[in-house]
Amino acid sequence: MIDLVGGVPLYVLEFGDELVYFTPYTITLFLLALTFTILVLISRPEKQVDIAFGGDAYRTKEISVSEMRFRRFMAIACGLATMGAMVTGDIFNFTLFTAMVGITNVGIVAAVKSPHVQDAAYQYGLVSLSATIPLFGGAAVYAATTGSLSMIELMKGTVPAVPLIAKGMLMLGVIGEGMAPFYAAKAEMFRAPGAPYVIMCSLSSLLIFLRVVEIVMLG
Amino acid sequence: MIRKISHILCNYENIVPLFAGACALLFLVGILMLPLSYEQNQLYPKTIDRNSSLDPYDRGGPPFTMVAIHSQYPENSPSAGLVTSYLTPLSLYLSQTTMHLGTTIVAHPGGIIDEILYNTRGLDTVVEPTILLIAFAIASYLYRKVE
Repeated sequence: MIDLVGGVPLYVLEFGDELVYFTPYTITLFLLALTFTILVLISRPEKQVDIAFGGDAYRTKEISVSEMRFRRFMAIACGLATMGAMVTGDIFNFTLFTAMVGITNVGIVAAVKSPHVQDAAYQYGLVSLSATIPLFGGAAVYAATTGSLSMIELMKGTVPAVPLIAKGMLMLGVIGEGMAPFYAAKAEMFRAPGAPYVIMCSLSSLLIFLRVVEIVMLG
Repeated sequence: MIRKISHILCNYENIVPLFAGACALLFLVGILMLPLSYEQNQLYPKTIDRNSSLDPYDRGGPPFTMVAIHSQYPENSPSAGLVTSYLTPLSLYLSQTTMHLGTTIVAHPGGIIDEILYNTRGLDTVVEPTILLIAFAIASYLYRKVE
């Protein structure tokens, strides 16, 4: 019988060779992403207020509607990509969703007018660009050494064991796309105004990191 | 110690060299771990018939009679492999007159639609254009941004 890290699949949805499966673990992550996407969809963004020390002067930052609209679009796309990455049962499909999370994360902050935020977003974009090499390379080594890309087959143990280097490449790719351990660096991007949208960057990278931990424990 | 590391990490200009270093290190380890065993029983075997005018896209087999491809879960797409490609009249004409139709897949209307790919890995083909769409959306927004 299938021995799953995240629990027994409760429901399997078929897309040809790509199975989407829901275990208690992935359902939890999926619902978290779904809830936050709905929050992004319905909430009104914050307006940052600068307060001058030593006086009672303050001013609100001017944010255009078109900028907010674009960032909401990116945040929702990021939420959808995260949901896809949570439930997919295929290694290559997971890497595609992860790449999409990376690019939407850049998009969320790219529209901001502050040069400091844009500098940080640019550096982050470079990392997420180069992270596609270990990410897709890892998926390629998975396919070459096991002959299959389906996570269900990996769990069943009907295919040869996955080499450590493939897992390492997949992990490094996800780290680069989501910048998971580098929240200190991402904090620079969080200076961007617009509260629910920037948090999406953080949440999506946390979720894909939690999911990749499950994936590398499979094979 | 942690404060020092965190201080280095909080400068975003250090992130790219750090990630590049990590990649270089991992790839070096990967080279040292060679050779990796290649599984002969591949799910999507790639045989290329150089004499076919559809060269890299000819996945073999006469249509409707023989299935030359494998899929992980054949029961999910029972008709996969019965049809290998669709050709418009123009593409059919090109395929009969030249040997290089497979190299011009984007250069003529209604090229080869890879039926097998769409049948077996449908979700991938949806996500890939979506990534492209997002990338173009970001690029066009930044390009059209006034001031």
